[in-house]
Amino acid sequence: MTPTISVQQLSKTYEVPEREGGFSAAVRSFFKRKYKDVKAVQEVNFNIEQGEVVGFLGPNGAGKTTTLKMLSGLLHPTSGTANVLGFTPWELKNDYLRSMTLVMGQRNRLSWDIPAADSFLLNQAIYRIPDDEYKETYKELDELLELEPLMKKPVRNLSLGERMKCEIAVGLLHRPKVLFLDEPTIGLDITGQARIREFLQEYNKRTGATIILTSHYMADVTALCERIIIIHHGQLKYDGGINDLSKKIAPFKLIGVLMENADAHDLSQYGEPVENMEDADKKFIQVKADEVTRITSRLLADLPIRDITIADPPIEDVIEQAFNA
Amino acid sequence: MFLIFKRLWQVNWAEQWQYRANLLMYLLYWLVSPIIYLAVWTSIATANGDVKGFTANDFITYYMVLLICDQVTSNIVIHTFGYKIQDGSLSGELIKPIHPMLTNALVNNVAFKILTMFGLTPIWIILFFLFQPDFSSVTLTGILLAIPAMMLAFLIGYFQSAAITALAFWTTRVYSIHEFYFALILLFSGQFVPLPLMPQLIQDIAQYLPFQLMLYYPIQLILGNLSTEQIIQGYVMTGVWLVISWLIFNWVWRKGVKKYSAVGA
Amino acid sequence: MHSLKLIYAFLKMNIQMSLAYRADTVVNILLNLMWLGWELLSLNIIFSNTQTLGGWGIGELIALLGVFRLVNTLMIALIWPNTEKFNQSIRDGSMDYTILQPANSMFLVTFSRITVWRFWDLILAIILIVIGINMSGDLITAPQILTFILLALSGIIVIYSLWIVLIALTFWFTKFDNNVTILQALLDAGRYPATVYPVWLRVIVTFIIPIAVATTIPLQALRGELAFNQVLIFFFIGVASFIIASRVWKSGLKRYSGASS
Repeated sequence: MTPTISVQQLSKTYEVPEREGGFSAAVRSFFKRKYKDVKAVQEVNFNIEQGEVVGFLGPNGAGKTTTLKMLSGLLHPTSGTANVLGFTPWELKNDYLRSMTLVMGQRNRLSWDIPAADSFLLNQAIYRIPDDEYKETYKELDELLELEPLMKKPVRNLSLGERMKCEIAVGLLHRPKVLFLDEPTIGLDITGQARIREFLQEYNKRTGATIILTSHYMADVTALCERIIIIHHGQLKYDGGINDLSKKIAPFKLIGVLMENADAHDLSQYGEPVENMEDADKKFIQVKADEVTRITSRLLADLPIRDITIADPPIEDVIEQAFNA
Repeated sequence: MFLIFKRLWQVNWAEQWQYRANLLMYLLYWLVSPIIYLAVWTSIATANGDVKGFTANDFITYYMVLLICDQVTSNIVIHTFGYKIQDGSLSGELIKPIHPMLTNALVNNVAFKILTMFGLTPIWIILFFLFQPDFSSVTLTGILLAIPAMMLAFLIGYFQSAAITALAFWTTRVYSIHEFYFALILLFSGQFVPLPLMPQLIQDIAQYLPFQLMLYYPIQLILGNLSTEQIIQGYVMTGVWLVISWLIFNWVWRKGVKKYSAVGA
Repeated sequence: MHSLKLIYAFLKMNIQMSLAYRADTVVNILLNLMWLGWELLSLNIIFSNTQTLGGWGIGELIALLGVFRLVNTLMIALIWPNTEKFNQSIRDGSMDYTILQPANSMFLVTFSRITVWRFWDLILAIILIVIGINMSGDLITAPQILTFILLALSGIIVIYSLWIVLIALTFWFTKFDNNVTILQALLDAGRYPATVYPVWLRVIVTFIIPIAVATTIPLQALRGELAFNQVLIFFFIGVASFIIASRVWKSGLKRYSGASS
């Protein structure tokens, strides 16, 4: 079976005009502009199967959004190929556009001045959704997102979280098979983020849709994605299970110990001390994964330990390390 | 004080320079109707010999000078400032220890003018060669007398537009009000046609209104068509209207700011 | 057929929007009447000083004002609001969504905003044309009316195509967002017969930015002043300009997505 999304050697280079400040530079640039090539994405490869939920991670400017834009068809790559549902995205075939959706957390599809209901109906017309199918989809989305009370108010009067629910819903009216979500929870409060997350999980389960999402909030990724792809400086740094990440990128474990009279003992001879952990009673050290057994037994032998835990380091820290690698 | 204006100038010049392409568009837009009127009236004058004593050359010189006068005396304060009151970004300017309308917005208008003047000059020269006007009646005294007249007329127009802009403190429809004001200018300033060709009623009313001071009066000054008595009369009118416009603006602005801060927008 | 359905959907949405701003609509209608009054007054001033203008009498000029307002309705009801929407969508990036919708993007960009009440201008325009022709005493035959409609349509398409080219330029020059002003300015030249203008201006408004094609020419057709082959040529200009405009739009989109260069 061919994968739903397959990407080979995908690259995108932008030409960015260079300009210095000041009046004379402005005049000069008016006549002759200097350009500089910026490699936003470099020879990225991956395959994604139907029904997978994949998280794109990377710092700002790493190339996540550029990749999403190429996959949705907005951007033409400089080189390389991509195939989504059997289409080349940037050919922008109507059949392709009708089978995928792109939701960007920072951009509005809904008109501000009118109630969302009217924008929904407009999208029904644009996507040529038959009435009965539209009603059914709407009912389903309403069940999951509780849209009904929001539909009659002008969009400008909705809260950010309410608006995001509507933005996501309007992007799903045509029952896309592939969802590209760029920062779908940006700016939302914790409950708002959780609502969207739960919805996406449920939607994926019900429809078997393939989802790629980028997010700044690690919780989004850890809750939704079993697989993550890390992009940094336009290059693919990691592609695999979220649980394997720590093994590959940072083969470390965290040992936490609860001791009597904890401050009297120096742990730095056993491993690198880690500060500011959630569990304030314990002291933590970071050790290499293959030394865990040896160090644990040393700790137990040397110190008055009441409790000891061994865990993977938090995913945020691991990814942080991955970027720096 | 001087330093404030110097800094304001730097900021506003840079801002207007950013929008130079738009500025050129605006300039072309604004040039078209005088040129159309010029073409229409010279065609009529050529066909009939003259129109109530106006020859084709009279029309050409009239509109050619009008292009410059209009450029000097008009303002864009409604476009650069109206939205600030509406969207609340005025708050940031109100807490500064300078009057936003009399410093920042004013300097912005002047920067805009100087930049458009750069654009206008080559176009004006091209038009000069296309229409070949006979400017023999123009005198240096006329021009020297017209310069302060135009500057004062600019201030009259600026205060009036600023007063209308300040109506944004109460209503969202300032642009419509300004459109109406613009129609008055068209009717009474001599923009469409030299005032003596307008219907008698409009001529009679125009005498007492400030709009002819912005165009018809300085054009006639430059073209050397006015007697000493008329020149003095024009300057007196200008002074009177400047005071009136200032008082109106000041009153509207104070009331508006008071309302604005009361609502706490 | 589907396009009609889409236009209907857009219309419905825009009626909703203008209902939200009722008072503005009333004010705008009053201002519109004010400008009509001014236009008639200016014609009155012109014709109190001359019998003919560029060979045309006051009746023909009133009819020309009607044709001008017909074309201007397109400007005000569609072109201006959609330009504003378009420029905004370029600035805030929502253009991305327009491109990803499964419908012709040029179509979406043309009809997403419609100033609905402006269409009463069409009635006003037709009244002006009828009154003007009546005053001029010209005899109008059925084929002349047909060629008038044909050439008025083709003229409107020319103006529309110019607009598409102008906004498509934004894909290359992002700061170029005051682009439609120039179209409006030159359109204003269409209030008077092109024959009044000096040669260089006539060349501009007939060939370079063919405003006259949308105003003077259809009226000439209505008065039976055009030969059959001239009618064909002007109709062909309409078709050709539409084809060119869609080409430019397409390459603009390519530029936007980085497919060109």
